Amino acid sequence: MGDTFEQLDREPTSVTSAPWVRRAILVALAVVVVLAVLDRFGQRPSVTAARAPAATMRLSAPAAVRGGLFFQSRLDVRAGRAIEHPRIVLDAGWVEGMQVNSIEPAPVSEASREGRVVLSYDALEAGDVLRVWLQFEVNPTNVGHRSYAVELDDAERPVARISPEITVWP
Amino acid sequence: MDLVFRTAYVFVLIFVVTRAVGRRELSSMEPFDVILLVVIGDLVQQGVTQSDYSLTGATTVIATLALLTVLTAWLSFRFRALRPVLEGDPVVLISDGRLHERNLRRERMTVEEVEAEARQQQLASLDDVRFAVLETNGRISFVSK
Repeated sequence: MGDTFEQLDREPTSVTSAPWVRRAILVALAVVVVLAVLDRFGQRPSVTAARAPAATMRLSAPAAVRGGLFFQSRLDVRAGRAIEHPRIVLDAGWVEGMQVNSIEPAPVSEASREGRVVLSYDALEAGDVLRVWLQFEVNPTNVGHRSYAVELDDAERPVARISPEITVWP
Repeated sequence: MDLVFRTAYVFVLIFVVTRAVGRRELSSMEPFDVILLVVIGDLVQQGVTQSDYSLTGATTVIATLALLTVLTAWLSFRFRALRPVLEGDPVVLISDGRLHERNLRRERMTVEEVEAEARQQQLASLDDVRFAVLETNGRISFVSK
């Protein structure tokens, strides 16, 4: 019978037996974990705001989301003066490759304007607050970086605009 | 961020549970134990990733588990005082041919189990055994007389 140890290398030559290769892989894994802890892969919400004489607008939404996951965006509009025809205009990035689960309160009507979604609500008096919750699920194939801008219009006249972006991780 | 914390929590939970269950049970699994292990694995997956089916989520969880595993091994290697906590101590079951029944009870083992292990290592009788040690991986080492 042959020696079962005969074919074994006394000095292993495989790449992963080199300590620096393993250390480099571990460092790469550590970078992933640190980035995750820093919320680079989503999906904690961050707040962006716009202030105008007619209204202030605050958007709470994640800057990054992962494919397949549910997330929420919340929009607060506080009217500085009466807005007769408040309309929330969402960029295409809000709905492109996203499943819209619900919008609460539901708008009085919905329309399209140059590829954007227009949600119409009842008139606001000075000091009124319109808070809208929008629930989504990310389509797993919707990977990339896109505009998540939202605009408040009075009929077709822009009042305030926030222009964040959203990153969808695979 | 929550993925990393959920993974770390489950890692610690599994560690504590496996240490509490005992090494012997984990090294000699019956069909029931195997099925239970699969069920636990499924429950753990649901708890950690929940409805997250993303590649990014999977990468984060695997990276976290890998780092925690390496960290545990390094702590055990670097700090001798932590080894009993992280890996456990070998338990002497037979020394100088004398059976330590207290240690057997502590590990919830019977003499018949030790005899069965001895037979698998070509030892016909415990009278032929000088030392038997339950190692930290759950296997029993025998030294014959």
